[in-house]
Amino acid sequence: MSTIRVRSPASYWLAVPAAAWMLGVVVVPIVLLVWVSLWGGRTFSPASPLTFDNYARFFANQTYIKLAGTTVMHTVMLMAVTGVLGYCIAYCLVMKVRSPGWRLALFLAFIIPFWTSTLIRAIAWVPFLGVNGVINQLLMSIGATRSPIEAFLYSKTGITMAQVSLYTMMAAGPVVYMLSSIAPQLREAAMTLKATPLTVFWRIVFPLTLPGVVIGQVLVFLNVMSDFATVATIGGNKHALLSNLVLLFYESSQIRAASVVAVLLMICMLVGVIIALRVVDVRRLGVER
Amino acid sequence: MIGWKGRSSLTAWVLGTLTVIFLAYQWLPIFTLGLLSFSGPTGGTTFPMNGTSFHWYQELWRASVMNDFKPPLLRSVLLAAACSATTIVLSVMAAQAMRGQFRGNGWFFYLMLLGIMAPGILVGFGFAILMRLMGVDLSWDTTTFLVQVSWTLPFGFLTMLAVFNRFDKRVEEAALTLGASRLSTFRRITLPLVLPGVIGAGLFGFSLSYDEYARSMFTTGPDATLPLAVMAQLDRQLTPEIYAVGTTTTLFSLIAVTLCTVAFWAMRRSTSLRRT
Repeated sequence: MSTIRVRSPASYWLAVPAAAWMLGVVVVPIVLLVWVSLWGGRTFSPASPLTFDNYARFFANQTYIKLAGTTVMHTVMLMAVTGVLGYCIAYCLVMKVRSPGWRLALFLAFIIPFWTSTLIRAIAWVPFLGVNGVINQLLMSIGATRSPIEAFLYSKTGITMAQVSLYTMMAAGPVVYMLSSIAPQLREAAMTLKATPLTVFWRIVFPLTLPGVVIGQVLVFLNVMSDFATVATIGGNKHALLSNLVLLFYESSQIRAASVVAVLLMICMLVGVIIALRVVDVRRLGVER
Repeated sequence: MIGWKGRSSLTAWVLGTLTVIFLAYQWLPIFTLGLLSFSGPTGGTTFPMNGTSFHWYQELWRASVMNDFKPPLLRSVLLAAACSATTIVLSVMAAQAMRGQFRGNGWFFYLMLLGIMAPGILVGFGFAILMRLMGVDLSWDTTTFLVQVSWTLPFGFLTMLAVFNRFDKRVEEAALTLGASRLSTFRRITLPLVLPGVIGAGLFGFSLSYDEYARSMFTTGPDATLPLAVMAQLDRQLTPEIYAVGTTTTLFSLIAVTLCTVAFWAMRRSTSLRRT
């Protein structure tokens, strides 16, 4: 017995407002993007004939194809860096930090920046990266370089550095969750059977945390693919990824071109998520009932 | 050869060092931002600071029309409050509905997850086109509100699902057995017990809406919210004033997080009290 009867009409009606909201604001606009990207003709109206011309125009341009390639490469590199770094940090937090007080303090220290504005955190990298920035001043004071390196602000390096700091905890979080749910007896049993620590890690610990790794990678993938704000803040106008292209076309009122890029971005993301779902069954983790 | 124990503590040292370095890597920019916001009137956007002062905070206060952050701040706070309130009502309703296991609740769950997974740039852009086709004017208090709730609601929903999972159902059963109606049981027993979780969901919604940039950018129209105003100012000119805004909103967010943590802690305490 509970305050709501199982399979009652009331439970159905309680879900309707939220479902309608999500359908109207998330699902309909995304379907609309696909539709608009197929509009031909000269005027922007629903009466336009449907063609693949917009896509043909996009793929005819070498620059755009290269940009798509750069975006995917950049994302894959960030996934690798944040994945390895995040796993190391998660392993350290769960397995190596013994005192509960320290562990809580470290957890908070990692999580708190995560709660503040991503935009502000991206802007916070600007005074670090410039020609007179903190990194260059530091390098010059220890004598590593004589003249400031211009390669940080308005560069790929700078964007990568900022994004690593923004997204590593996204990769680490799910791993922390999976690591702390491994029973210590499993490792002890393997050790008793004379497995080396490395074997224990690769054959027992790592496979058990794999779902966490994959979820973390999906989160990083989705966020980096669509993160135009960091690229715009730190890359200036010199660098762009696919998501910036959406914005660029939108601002110059090329709505159909923008929708084409948006749809391609969406397809990349869907492919990524589907590959991830083939590796782990996320549903087993998501619905705890 | 080093033995197992030696190697294990070596790994611990290496991983520990890496963790501490990354921690510094994550925090240093934020501290620098805070520090530089107190630089003197002639201070630039990087070191040296040229003295310390509240100059840039004063500048923030008596701003000109061009870079006045007060109206955007007011809009952002009002919008976040509205999103938070809507999130609370809808997510409690939706989570309660999930307890009723209505037909298609699996689909419903995935629909909510989609709201978290779908990137803001796609949702914002798609919604902007939809509004354009429907002939609706973009504005921070209508269209942006609609879009932002679709972002805050799933997080509130997941929070409420977790809260209802931890919740001791026997208390409800007792009230119902004693003849209370379902509605009054919910109002007088269930709601007070899950209230800290509800507050947590609300603060979650507030913070997410307050910081949201991508969704607002496409749907806001002429009157900007705070993140949009900050980005616009960044495009025009980078001054320590932006750092002052950044420091202020970061502190604001931290206060919200602290309140959230305290609410959850209070809930944990109330549940553990019940068990003893």
